[in-house]
Amino acid sequence: MTFYETQISRIQKSCYSNEMQIATVIATRSFIDDNFNTDLNLDVLSHIQFVSKYHLLRLFKKYYGLTPRQYLMDKRIEKSKENLANGMTVTETCFAVGFESLGSFSTLFKTKTGKSPSAFQKQQLSRSKLSSEYGILEKD
Amino acid sequence: MRVTLISIPVRDQEKALKFYTEKLGFIIKKDAPLDGGNRWITLVSKEAQDGPEILLEPAPLHFEPSKVFQDALMEAGIPYTQFDVDNVDEEYERLTTVGVEFSVKPTTMGTVKFAVFNDTCGNNMQIVEML
Repeated sequence: MTFYETQISRIQKSCYSNEMQIATVIATRSFIDDNFNTDLNLDVLSHIQFVSKYHLLRLFKKYYGLTPRQYLMDKRIEKSKENLANGMTVTETCFAVGFESLGSFSTLFKTKTGKSPSAFQKQQLSRSKLSSEYGILEKD
Repeated sequence: MRVTLISIPVRDQEKALKFYTEKLGFIIKKDAPLDGGNRWITLVSKEAQDGPEILLEPAPLHFEPSKVFQDALMEAGIPYTQFDVDNVDEEYERLTTVGVEFSVKPTTMGTVKFAVFNDTCGNNMQIVEML
């Protein structure tokens, strides 16, 4: 057994021995992944897992290093980038990934990516246009 | 400031380029000649080509402490760094069929599944899937 494997099994025992807790947070993350576009909040998540709100919040943060809300926001931004790159409008994207106001979506998007949704989309679309033209050039 | 580059020390840049592109599936972003036969080679993930670049850096050839550190990590089985994958088991199957050697087979630990392979250029590398 290497030094690394010894350390891993030590950490496994000291941090990841509570299988119930792990099953709870994994199920919560998976639920967020499947329902990120709905009106999700801690009440809904804790109700589904039959645990108290603040217990779930603590557990999720303990195992994933961020809160369910932070995870949800990251997920929505990731999905909105895909939608924008595929040509969906900013407004459609905003509601398709579960935001309720265009303002909060745009502000968060800019904070997380450094660009507004429309600037991001412009860049992505010009890039894909460029690469398709470049592809044609290469064939010649 | 932005994070755009992950530097990986390699013993042989050409060999590393082959391994990281042909076996792992990364694609070349930059390849520029430097002095002494060294190159500035960066790679990106095929699925996220505007994401961070990997720099294949020939440090162990030119700076002894880098080689010592790399050898020590290899000996201890410690991965130099890690890459995210959607499915560790599938990657493990895919990579073993093309001859990549694993020191740790797919293993679940809490909320992650991981495996460790030899990059043939002096490093252990880890692939990770969030559960």
